[in-house]
Amino acid sequence: MALVSAAGLDFPATLKEIHAPADVKTVTAEFEFSNRSDKPVTIAKYNPTCSCIAVQIKDGKLRYAPGEAGLIRAEFNMGNFSGTVDKVVAVWLDNDPEDKPSLSLTVRVHIPVVVVLTPKTVRWELNSPPRPQTIRITMNYGKPIRVIAVTATSDAFKHELVTVAEGQCYELIVTPLDMQTPGLGIFRLETDCPLEKHRLQQVFATVYKPTTKL
Amino acid sequence: MSAWRQGAVIAVMALTAALGTFLIKGPPSRLFRCDPVTLKPDEVCLETIPAGTNVVWVDARSRAAWEQSGVPGSLLWNLDPTEDQPACEAAVAVRIAATPRVIVYCGDENCGISRQIADRIRQLDLGAEVAVLRGGWRALSEAGRVKQAGHTR
Repeated sequence: MALVSAAGLDFPATLKEIHAPADVKTVTAEFEFSNRSDKPVTIAKYNPTCSCIAVQIKDGKLRYAPGEAGLIRAEFNMGNFSGTVDKVVAVWLDNDPEDKPSLSLTVRVHIPVVVVLTPKTVRWELNSPPRPQTIRITMNYGKPIRVIAVTATSDAFKHELVTVAEGQCYELIVTPLDMQTPGLGIFRLETDCPLEKHRLQQVFATVYKPTTKL
Repeated sequence: MSAWRQGAVIAVMALTAALGTFLIKGPPSRLFRCDPVTLKPDEVCLETIPAGTNVVWVDARSRAAWEQSGVPGSLLWNLDPTEDQPACEAAVAVRIAATPRVIVYCGDENCGISRQIADRIRQLDLGAEVAVLRGGWRALSEAGRVKQAGHTR
């Protein structure tokens, strides 16, 4: 693990990776550091980049004499995220300018994706043949998860839910009805997932007009 | 004249010139400058996006910051768990359907959230061109491209 030095403070790690369960609510990470310089170092301020982060410094101590060690603890509310999420705490030492903190502490949280949607979006180019396309819905959980309803925001697409293996795998077959007009359909999938935060999913269908790059 | 005297004279002249420049032109500019040479592959400089360009602006700052001062017409999408992520996702998808060019901005260079949001927008696979604004809100603000107290959902 690479040692990171910032204004006299040495951190054995400024990135912590955590593999959390699907139902995770909070994640806590600790960053140890020590002052290996010959001058005192002061933590001037620390700024979580999200209201979902609570940061504590051990014993509330902000000034560290040479040789002293400390600990920054960050607790994150993970909300309804899944996949990989980075949570960052910026730390200003001594006289860091407002726009240049000495270091950023990152917690990378990996949360299993319980309902896997492949692909997330089906797309048709304007005026192309309206061939049906399939979104595969695969459950990645120890127990069966059923799709119990599909609602669509647009009449420009028709859809059909096919059960491949009850509680395990489904297919949403989407067909555009108008290939002359760009359009977007949002399909909301309601499941009986016991984890509330994974219960509702959404996928997209779009008929798009090709564009040139910026 | 000895070498050290010559050196001293040169130093005094240089300092005098520097002082004169400071007095005439003022302190060095602290305005954000976007150097295209240092851009990461997914970043853009604001200078390359003239006002009025048809893009979807996505604000990755806090709701309070967005409501207080965001780009007119921008959408909010951050990683705060109190926000309705599927709603943010859907709002961006609707706008991308009409304008498949997205630029995400955050508070400053240290934020990092704009890149995560840009990744999430790419993962929607809606075919949009997605970039992160170098300099974030600071660059926009200094260019007069933000509006005060303009947004509510």
